Amino acid sequence: MELGKKQEEKSETLHIPAIRRKWQILTLQLASTFSLLFLLKKMTEIYGPCSDQFVLDHSVDSWCPSYEHTRGLLWLEGREGLLIPDFLLGVNQTGTFSLIGPILICALFTVAIDRYWASTLELQNRIKQVAAGILGAWVILPFLFSWLFATFSNGFHFPWNSNDSMNHIGDLFHPLGLALELVFLGIVFAPILAGLVGIWGLSKRAITWSVGYYIVLIGFHAILTFEPIVSEVDVGLRALPTQIGEGTMYGGLVSPLASSLLGISILLLLFLETGSAAITHMEYAVSLPEESKRDPEYVRQFNNVVNSHLVQLSVVVMLVSITTALALAFDDLMITIVGVLEGTQWTGQVKESLELQMTYGKVISAGLFIIAVAGLRFLIPWQTVSGYLESGISRFRS
Amino acid sequence: MWTRKAAIMLAGGVSLILVGMMISNFQMMIIGLTFIAFISINGWISGQTDLEITRFVPHSNVYKGDLIEVSLTITNRSYRRTQQLEVFDNVPHEMKIRRGINQIRLNLGPGQSTKMDYMLRCPLRGHYSIGPISVRYRNAFGLFVNESRIEDMCDITVFPQVRDVEDAMLRADVPKMYTGATTLRTPGPGMEFYSLREYLSTDSLRSINWKAFARTGDMMVNQKTRDAVTDIFVILDTREVSRIGTVLKNPLEMGASAAASIASHFLKRKDSVAMVTYGSRMEFLPADSGDKQQYKVLSRLASVTPSGSMPLQAVTNSLAPRISRGSPVFIISSLEGDGTTLPAIRNLSGNGHEVIVLSPSSVDLERLVSRIPRMAYEVLKLERQNRLTAVSGYGAKVIDWMPEVELSQALMQSRV
Repeated sequence: MELGKKQEEKSETLHIPAIRRKWQILTLQLASTFSLLFLLKKMTEIYGPCSDQFVLDHSVDSWCPSYEHTRGLLWLEGREGLLIPDFLLGVNQTGTFSLIGPILICALFTVAIDRYWASTLELQNRIKQVAAGILGAWVILPFLFSWLFATFSNGFHFPWNSNDSMNHIGDLFHPLGLALELVFLGIVFAPILAGLVGIWGLSKRAITWSVGYYIVLIGFHAILTFEPIVSEVDVGLRALPTQIGEGTMYGGLVSPLASSLLGISILLLLFLETGSAAITHMEYAVSLPEESKRDPEYVRQFNNVVNSHLVQLSVVVMLVSITTALALAFDDLMITIVGVLEGTQWTGQVKESLELQMTYGKVISAGLFIIAVAGLRFLIPWQTVSGYLESGISRFRS
Repeated sequence: MWTRKAAIMLAGGVSLILVGMMISNFQMMIIGLTFIAFISINGWISGQTDLEITRFVPHSNVYKGDLIEVSLTITNRSYRRTQQLEVFDNVPHEMKIRRGINQIRLNLGPGQSTKMDYMLRCPLRGHYSIGPISVRYRNAFGLFVNESRIEDMCDITVFPQVRDVEDAMLRADVPKMYTGATTLRTPGPGMEFYSLREYLSTDSLRSINWKAFARTGDMMVNQKTRDAVTDIFVILDTREVSRIGTVLKNPLEMGASAAASIASHFLKRKDSVAMVTYGSRMEFLPADSGDKQQYKVLSRLASVTPSGSMPLQAVTNSLAPRISRGSPVFIISSLEGDGTTLPAIRNLSGNGHEVIVLSPSSVDLERLVSRIPRMAYEVLKLERQNRLTAVSGYGAKVIDWMPEVELSQALMQSRV
């Protein structure tokens, strides 16, 4: 058993193709991908619908600048028609099904971009030239052909004319329709494409950009749904409730709204950390010289580092979720504790205090809780305890 | 210490909470709280840098261009996991890593150990130290960094290269007269009989000549002729001007290698070698023989650096009383920027010393680093030829040593 393990370590190397097939790295990349996809699903659920008032004033299919692509594409289809097939755009689909087609496009683009980056500079230049040629041909050729054919039938004329059969300028703007489709698609799927490129094309910048995009998007949504702004300009976005609600989930710990919002935060964090971790480990492996990549000691330590990273990642993310959930419910706990101390005027005032349960009170109490959690590290020697346990277990095994 | 990522995350978290509070948006507040909770929870994990590290270097003295194998054994003796550490062995920038790497990223459990091997090349002579060892704890999520040092140093001396000049010395007309041990006509420890003298209380009984005692009736002892070896004097120019050229190829580097090779050659033949270096000050290593002297010579040559502008005549004047009569003197110098070269060599020759001047061509060495116009080069070269001719005019054997020529080849080019 031990011998087999040693032989396996000896045959392992830290070359990138080998590392990309390692289960630890694949786990990190898959965790990052799934968290990104779940994030998309959660975001479309929460930020996708238009406000009820907007739907009443217009129709269900009317466009509002929410985080949902099909509404915009349907509006475009009504005006000019769509160039990309509906099943790829998710048009006429509802819920999660409307996301599948665009996700497939993103996956195809990710593979294409990865291959493009991996190709030689010469090939990259050739691809650029061909792409520019095709785009140029698409802009010019339909215009030229329609003008020429019209010249045969109607005689020579300028391409702009009040008569529709003799007006060909519109042909020059056909590609603009595709650009518009991509813009509507990109608003929702640009962070998905960037995220996938970041995870599988190994670009930390793309991952950070994707996270930043989501935070900016949430910020825009928050500002556009802020009461004083809505009273001036209502773009039809559905605002989040200003009260987080009573805790009814996980033993009364979190409310459904808090659970959804916390889910988005945790998924954002998980996507960022798992995606970056896979790249960081690969960067280290790349920096090693050839001899070290084959050195069993380096391989063993690499495995140690990645394994411990995976363990820490799962434990830390779990603890962060619990801590944030507890922090959000900490105001209730404080009121409960004060409620136990019956009798004084102060306890009565605190018990009845609305401020403590309002936004400010909730956030300040949550902040206090997190500070207390941070301070516990000085009181609980968990690393020493876990170290004793680990050494005890290894001694027992040996 | 907090990293930039942690600082950005904290600032971003606080900003999101504040903005979220201002516009009553729970999503922003929760993202902010999550970021801060992430930092707080990560604060619970701290690295353990109290490691036992032993470095093994098989040789502490090497020759220029040699390879050194360095091996580090890192053991976690504590009861805590180290967490993600980066161990970095500080290597002097003059040394180049040829195999492996001087750092490792590890995570050792209690009692576990690992090994790091790498190979260094020493392209420059000198005294160097490998170490200290830097141990950097880096949080798994890149939020905190803590660096500590383990002051484990390993001193390495890189001697100048010693070339084999045996063949060149035999074929060249320079040093043929030095044939190892020669007898001096003075009494002292030796093998051959010198004279008889009266017994002194300090003399050993074994030295009493019993026949002479029987003949004269006085206690007489045998005196022997002192066995001596040739004293070779090697004078190496380490002035600032000997820096001309590249780091690897300059008059000082060439001279140090030549001095080491010549000294080594004569010491192997049981001769005594004295070493003099002069630059900002004169340093004299008295004549001696044997392996110990070779070590001293090489150590001295390992540490020479170009500095100062001491004239050669000051050196020869100072050495005059210490140079044994008739001893050959090797002067290794580019002969640049010193007006006292001619009188110094004239005095040495005049005192009956065999003077050999080995002169690295500084004009050609300068061409390696800067472009000299052809005309200027020709003029400089002519000046140098005139100088060397003048030196040889005083009876010294002069070797014009071009950068691309091997030492053994150069030694065979001596001219009078």
